[in-house]
Amino acid sequence: MIWIEKQRNIIDLALSSLLRKSGKNLALVIIYTAIVFILASVVFFISSLKREAALVLEASPEIVVQKLVAGRQALAPESYIDAMRGLRGTANVRGRLWGHYFDSTVGANYTIMACDDDAQLAAGTITIGRGMARTLSLKKGDSMKFDAYDGTSVDFKVGEILPYRSELVASDLILLRSDGFRRIFGMEEGSYSDVTLQVANRKEMATVAGKIKKLLPDSRPILRDEVLRTYEAIFDWRGGLLIVILCGAVLAFIIFAWDKASGLSFEERREICILKAVGWDTSEVMAMKLWEGAVISLLSFIFGIIGAYLHVFYTSYFLFGPVLKGWSVLYPSYQLIPAVDPYQLAALFFLTVVPYTAATLIPLWGAASIDPDEGMRL
Amino acid sequence: MIELRNVTKVFNKGRSNEFTAIEDVSLSIGARRLTVLKGPSGSGKTTALSIIGAMAKPTSGRVEVFGREITSLPERFLSRIRREHFGFIFQNFNLIKGISALENVMIPAYPCGENHGVLRNRAMGLLELFNVSGKADSMVNWLSGGEMQRVAIARALINNPQVIVADEPTAHLDTKLSREFMGIMAQLVRDGRTVMIASHDPLICDSEDIGMVVSFRDGRIEGVQENR
Amino acid sequence: MIMHPAIIALFAGSAIVGFMILYAACHGIGILRHWDLRSGSELQLRLERRTYLISTMMSCAFCFQIFSLFLFIYTADNLSRLLVGAMCGAGSLNANCYGYPALLFKILNFILGGVWLIVNYTDNMAPDYPMIRKKYFFLLLIVPCIAVEIFLQGAYFLNLDANIITSCCGSIFSGDGKGVGSVFTSIPVAPVKASFYLLAIVSAVSGVLFCLRGKAVAGIIFSLASILGFIVSLAALISFISTYYYQLPTHHCPFCILQREYWYVGYVLYLCLSLGVLSGASAGLLMFARGVESLKDILPSIQKRLVLISLVSQLLFLIVSAWPMIFTDFKLVS
Repeated sequence: MIWIEKQRNIIDLALSSLLRKSGKNLALVIIYTAIVFILASVVFFISSLKREAALVLEASPEIVVQKLVAGRQALAPESYIDAMRGLRGTANVRGRLWGHYFDSTVGANYTIMACDDDAQLAAGTITIGRGMARTLSLKKGDSMKFDAYDGTSVDFKVGEILPYRSELVASDLILLRSDGFRRIFGMEEGSYSDVTLQVANRKEMATVAGKIKKLLPDSRPILRDEVLRTYEAIFDWRGGLLIVILCGAVLAFIIFAWDKASGLSFEERREICILKAVGWDTSEVMAMKLWEGAVISLLSFIFGIIGAYLHVFYTSYFLFGPVLKGWSVLYPSYQLIPAVDPYQLAALFFLTVVPYTAATLIPLWGAASIDPDEGMRL
Repeated sequence: MIELRNVTKVFNKGRSNEFTAIEDVSLSIGARRLTVLKGPSGSGKTTALSIIGAMAKPTSGRVEVFGREITSLPERFLSRIRREHFGFIFQNFNLIKGISALENVMIPAYPCGENHGVLRNRAMGLLELFNVSGKADSMVNWLSGGEMQRVAIARALINNPQVIVADEPTAHLDTKLSREFMGIMAQLVRDGRTVMIASHDPLICDSEDIGMVVSFRDGRIEGVQENR
Repeated sequence: MIMHPAIIALFAGSAIVGFMILYAACHGIGILRHWDLRSGSELQLRLERRTYLISTMMSCAFCFQIFSLFLFIYTADNLSRLLVGAMCGAGSLNANCYGYPALLFKILNFILGGVWLIVNYTDNMAPDYPMIRKKYFFLLLIVPCIAVEIFLQGAYFLNLDANIITSCCGSIFSGDGKGVGSVFTSIPVAPVKASFYLLAIVSAVSGVLFCLRGKAVAGIIFSLASILGFIVSLAALISFISTYYYQLPTHHCPFCILQREYWYVGYVLYLCLSLGVLSGASAGLLMFARGVESLKDILPSIQKRLVLISLVSQLLFLIVSAWPMIFTDFKLVS
């Protein structure tokens, strides 16, 4: 209890001391906040990209099988589907039709896909992603022209615009019926872009993939979990790389903080002298200085985190989005789903508050160990 | 009550700017008296006072305070002794600017871990005693010389110390305030406290309330004069 | 190597903690060589001042160490998504031979740091700093442990490869079908259960005896029981306590209880465990200072407080771990 009261009293003085030196500390808080802001933006952005990817892949098939010809992907024949249906433990074996469509009028690439069940869409209608709707200013009921493989053009009506959720991957998506798809690209009946299937037992996934490879030696089975892992690794790698680069900035900040902490103004020195002369111990002066540092850290950390949160989730990370997105630069703007967890905050704490505290410790001790009898000579 | 035996204090020992502040000082100071350490500036009286007040450790020699040997105590314990047994009044009062008079008075008690409210009441009581309670919430920068003096005395008394140590307290005061200061000190002695003042102000040295005058010159004791 | 923001944070944290301990130890050497409290020399004054820096540094390093421990476990948990066959942290740590040793050293250093701080606190209560040489010697012993920890953690992360798709082949088919976390399931339940309860009784009896009578023997027994109890409790947590929380006889993971699905109960359990062993071990270690004259008045009360803290946390651990055994229908059938 005594300890708590003592710390309360010391914090009291630390706060009023901070307020008195607000000019000096303001610069520190601003730079500190900026450092937290940049690092937190990277971390938040990376983790929400991962979340988006996981969200998208959640709905995607567990195994995708492609046919390879001379190391390149080729159209999968109907026989593939029949062969895999015969395997034990597989379900929902289905051929998929999908690809990319280049729109020369706006210079954008869209992902175009036939839906699983032709009954979902009326003939001659398409469903499009939000990003596309934005760029082409399309509304429900508008019509859109496609250049088919043979130079003719095909008209479709926009039946629906995809919902807001998970814009990242569905932003540029066009969904249509398989007959429309085959009409645009001139694909014959009985051939597919690839084949998807589900596995009843998750643990059997690798075994099933192995069996497929044995059955159809020219195929390439891709597991959803592996795609997910690959995305995660790529995003982590990019984020990690950026943070390593930003470590230079953190280092510069640490040197700045060290310098700030060691350069005592006359007034600060006088204050410490007085405290020590009237009976404060070095440890108590250090405690006061540590509390001051803690308040500065707390303020900057909170400001930086809030700033980064707004930056990433509400202003579409305009500062360095292009570096991190990479594969989706063509897309118009889209917003991420806000998500922050304590784990990210802990990592950020280690990258900012811990180095700051460690760097100010020695100067702070130097300041606190002024001779108490100097108070006599002021 | 306070004993100094062969105390020497050397600064920057072994370096070119080595400087002996006091040399071989032995002194015994009685309780409940007003003792003045007298001498020109640089004579070592401030150093002697800081050693007595557990602010500095002597280079050699021994110091006893209330029968306790303090020379071999580490800093951590010295500050506790300083806090509990001594109240300090400095030449320029050394109040912390930018905070209120009340907070200034409370500062020496902060590390004791006393309840903030209780402490506040006690500090308020002391300010009332010295008729400056009206200025409790004003910043010390705005106080007059006399008010600052009284706040400084209140701060010295907040931990209820047995000994009050004052270093050149009247150096920047006019005659009226100096008299007032001596009056308060005399009252403190009558209340049973021990007061020690380092000064070369004749107004203090010739005051009739003084119990003992110790004259310093060049870091040594020149003479001890007992009154009454 | 997997480059992950949290891994970089852990590296940075370890580097800083390592530097702080090393710095403290270097100054500790100066103190070991020149300390003389009776001297009024400026060197002695400087050394005394330095003890403040070292104490504060050690406290900060200790706080960072706790954070780093949890961040490490959390990261391992998070990495499991990148590694084939790893379902949670237990699997990720098993990915190479450095994972578990790194974790063990992290825990060891956490305990050593905490014990050092308690010894330091006690020593600072006596005006002659009776244990000053011993505690700085102890500090020197912590340095290699920290170094090993940093090496193991570095080796663990550097040798970690994500199993990702490369362009040439689609699937990796997670070659080794080794069951992940199998290390844990092999711990036999019955002997662990028996020693767990036995040690709980021993520490309860000796702890209460010590608090009431202050007998040194009781204190030493309590301290040993709490150290042993820490290890056995960890084993018990893995071999049978966790299964009650998961309600699955085959799930023994010591990390999943840290997750939200299990109301973060793991944090409570681990907090109790570490507090228990920290204060228990320190109380025992302080037995060696019993003969010191200047500590005679303070030591017993400090020790009693430590034993009490240890007892309460062990009791809390017992209650929290017994909770699902009593209040759920799940029965462990072996």
